[in-house]
Amino acid sequence: MRKPAILTGIILTAVILSGLPTSREAPIGTEAVPQTVVDDFGRPFPLPARTPERIVSMAPNITEILFALGLGDRVVGVTRFCDYPPATGAIRRIGGLVDPSLEVVRSLDPDLVVAFRGNPRRLVERMGKLGLPVFVCDTGEGLEALFPLIERIGRITRTEGRAAGLAADLRRRLDAVDAALKDIPARPKVFVLLHGQGLWTCGGESYADDLIARAGGTNVASFLPKKWALYKRERIIEDDPDVVFILARSPGDFAAGRDWLLRSAGMGGVAAVTSGRIHDLDENAASRFGPRLVDVLDHVARLLHPERFGGKG
Amino acid sequence: MSRRSGRHLFWIVCAGLCVAGFLASVLVGPVKTTPGDLWRFIQQPDRVQDAIFIDLRLARAVLAFLVGAALALSGAILQGYFRNPMADPFVVGVSSAASLGAVVASAVGFEVAAFGFSGPGLLAFLSGLGIVSLVYALSVRRGGFKVETLLLTGIAAGALASALTSFLLFMRSDSYDQAVFWLLGSFQLAEWGQAASIAPWIVLCLLASLWLARDMDLLALGDETARSLGSPVGRVRKAFLAMSALLAALSVAVSGIIGFVGLVVPHWVRILIGPGHRSLFAASALAGGTFLVYCDLIARNILSAELPIGVITAAVGAPFFLYLLHKKR
Repeated sequence: MRKPAILTGIILTAVILSGLPTSREAPIGTEAVPQTVVDDFGRPFPLPARTPERIVSMAPNITEILFALGLGDRVVGVTRFCDYPPATGAIRRIGGLVDPSLEVVRSLDPDLVVAFRGNPRRLVERMGKLGLPVFVCDTGEGLEALFPLIERIGRITRTEGRAAGLAADLRRRLDAVDAALKDIPARPKVFVLLHGQGLWTCGGESYADDLIARAGGTNVASFLPKKWALYKRERIIEDDPDVVFILARSPGDFAAGRDWLLRSAGMGGVAAVTSGRIHDLDENAASRFGPRLVDVLDHVARLLHPERFGGKG
Repeated sequence: MSRRSGRHLFWIVCAGLCVAGFLASVLVGPVKTTPGDLWRFIQQPDRVQDAIFIDLRLARAVLAFLVGAALALSGAILQGYFRNPMADPFVVGVSSAASLGAVVASAVGFEVAAFGFSGPGLLAFLSGLGIVSLVYALSVRRGGFKVETLLLTGIAAGALASALTSFLLFMRSDSYDQAVFWLLGSFQLAEWGQAASIAPWIVLCLLASLWLARDMDLLALGDETARSLGSPVGRVRKAFLAMSALLAALSVAVSGIIGFVGLVVPHWVRILIGPGHRSLFAASALAGGTFLVYCDLIARNILSAELPIGVITAAVGAPFFLYLLHKKR
């Protein structure tokens, strides 16, 4: 019978064809470059000889750092979430963090694309195959990770001097908070609520956890080995936090979150509720791993330890 | 209109729509391009336009076409196989199992790549084929198996796989974007490598199904009748089941789960050109591919954000399906 032989032939052809290399990778680094740096996905990246002219930012915190380094006029593409500083409003939108339009990015013809860990790896790799010069930055787990992040972005944009200046400024303000909180007698228990789909909070691996510790508090959800986690209502009652922070986009959002918390059964006896220490935390600044976290730190420290900052926070 | 000329009309219209769909896919996108741009590009290629027209838009349309063809062919095979119009790649559990494999791979950081598939893609494919073998093995009894048993086993296994997928995704809240992809489907990251890795298999399955189409026609008369007419029923059934699983797993591996195509396209085709399996298989592949090219065109252009393509396949497919169904009655 002939049919099995034909079938075997077709299968073999299919196997061979499917293994053929077919990617159309564009050449990267057409001019001689002196050095290569490695990004946080471990991908080699040729260090540009001078400051890139056309930069695409793939995340709001990256956009903020680029602007803080004085590169705002060179940023040609941002995500739809990039709204700080306000000057970002005039820049072409590439889409979201996980669904940017590759053709929009490609059409902007950038000489640098700065991505971060929140962008899916598959996406970053697809962009690399399109010949886009993508550099990926990690966010890190604590406030201190801001410094290497700024240093690395300064390095690849060849604005090392300005990055050092920005870092020194942030360091000075961090030190001021540290100095004000020196030898505090007690660390208030803090619960952070991400109001929205249920009782989300920040676990021990989040930079918010580190921020609270740095501001002289203790995150009650610190024991959770996660960045963000769903918390249990009865656990809050047991934890009895002294202060609650609600991450909110607007005053209305904050009020809704606070009311939701107050309405929840059993919350009446919680220390933060009886003392009224439920505070708004600007989601826009606090949820982005950028320079404004130091402002947030200062704000939280003043609310937790008003006595250390000359009375009222 | 006679059946034969109706069939010719179907092929001409479908091929015309297909070509128009590809042309529109290449011309329409978030970056404004005109037919003039395309014409100038063909005469004088340019780096950025090459990326947009060829690497992004055309690759995406080609992959959508291949996946649509695979899903529709898989559905057409399964509907014949089960002699049941409710059958599609989801029923035997392949799609759910494939997405489970993908989510497991991204959860444990399985990064091996082979044959143009990423790690999750590869595991999607393997677990899809794995579950259909398991379902098949569980349903076999002495002296053959019952279609109903296989159908129910497939539904149960698929539900189990879906539950495990949801559990894993719940445990890993930071892999949300991956979850959306594997559960709802997308061609956002389509590339030529993926198209080239699945195309030979799809062509192979299409040829084999055309070759075995006569046997499928006989199966429609019942296994006993088919056997008495000289068809090797056992082997034919195994071959069709393996092909339909392979087609569905290939699709899930490159584009996530896309529903509705496998169920609805073979129905359209059957209503329009009749139940003969040879033309049904070929026409389903062409119509399914064309349908998905248009769905993807809508998914990536209707909003500034990308819509999961499964939303479009159902929203566009269901009304048209209902219309055809009622026109027929």
